[in-house]
Amino acid sequence: MTTAQELRDKKQTYWDDVAVGHQFPPLVIGPMTPTHLFRWSAAIENWHRIHYDQSFAIYHEGLPNILGQGSWKQSILPRYLKDLCLPDGWPWKVTFQHRAMIVPGDTITVWATVTKKYEEEGLGFLDLDVGMRLQYDAESCPGRATIVLPIRGGKPIPYPFVPPKKLVS
Amino acid sequence: MSNAPASTESALTPEVKAMIGVSAEKVEASFEWGIEREGLRIFTQAIMDPDPRYWDEAFAKSTKFGAIITPPIYCTYIGRRQRPGADDPVTRAFKENPNSDGIGGVRTGEGKGSLPLVPTPLKRILNAGNEIELRQYPKIGDRIFSQAKYADIKERVQKDGSRMLVVTTETLYTNQNGELLCILRASQIRR
Repeated sequence: MTTAQELRDKKQTYWDDVAVGHQFPPLVIGPMTPTHLFRWSAAIENWHRIHYDQSFAIYHEGLPNILGQGSWKQSILPRYLKDLCLPDGWPWKVTFQHRAMIVPGDTITVWATVTKKYEEEGLGFLDLDVGMRLQYDAESCPGRATIVLPIRGGKPIPYPFVPPKKLVS
Repeated sequence: MSNAPASTESALTPEVKAMIGVSAEKVEASFEWGIEREGLRIFTQAIMDPDPRYWDEAFAKSTKFGAIITPPIYCTYIGRRQRPGADDPVTRAFKENPNSDGIGGVRTGEGKGSLPLVPTPLKRILNAGNEIELRQYPKIGDRIFSQAKYADIKERVQKDGSRMLVVTTETLYTNQNGELLCILRASQIRR
């Protein structure tokens, strides 16, 4: 886990210093417990019983256990990308699918690897493979992301972020 | 038990296809008091993110964002909260169906700003994947507006021959100044 102090003191990673194949430091979360899942359900008022009612999940839905929420995973990946970009980069976009189920007892390693590096309108872009790997090496949330990191001596990354027209589909 | 039609029947009926491109009205997702610190505290603790940009005002002011911000997609969740004084949808759902899954009968799709329901007998819902595009972090006090549309609906055939639908919605989130905060494209499996 990352601490508040580490995020406060986070040093900028520059686009210049990252090459294709670079693996960013992972974020390890867990082991997950029913309480973690319930806390998320309560935080976002998601009352789907497969996330906190074990009898319902197993005996009514035929699931192996209560399940970690897709919405939680959807929040963790952007949070991780945000951390990678701090303090002045921008986690522009991420797309992912839900694969292996997360159940209580699982430990999750959030990871990112650079697959492409390019410059557009003076800004430094990185395409990434990303995911949330479980302790038995199954991938729970494979996806792709694009982040923007500052170029040494380059212009500041605009905030609010406006993507270059060429990169908008 | 699957609600899926027999393999010869397409789940992608003309009525379902007609939903593609249908938009909901633009509504305020936040309450009239906007984003507040207590809700932000609960949310950030649930994603285990201790970032001081979410709670340390002096530090947050020193960052490029200039103020306390929220997690990247916080604004996509605030519209799920139950408005004070509203009828309790949980109680209603379980009165109507003691075996409610806690979501199908709770979120009826009849709320302001909701998309009309996809006319399908496929009631079971699973999250299939998401795409998130970020432009700006919401700030404390911001009022958040959202507008959803059905971006795409596809049919897939499962191994047992039954049909399922993959329903993709696209929701734009803006603040009180009309500035785009983020775009969420969410795909759900209906089976």
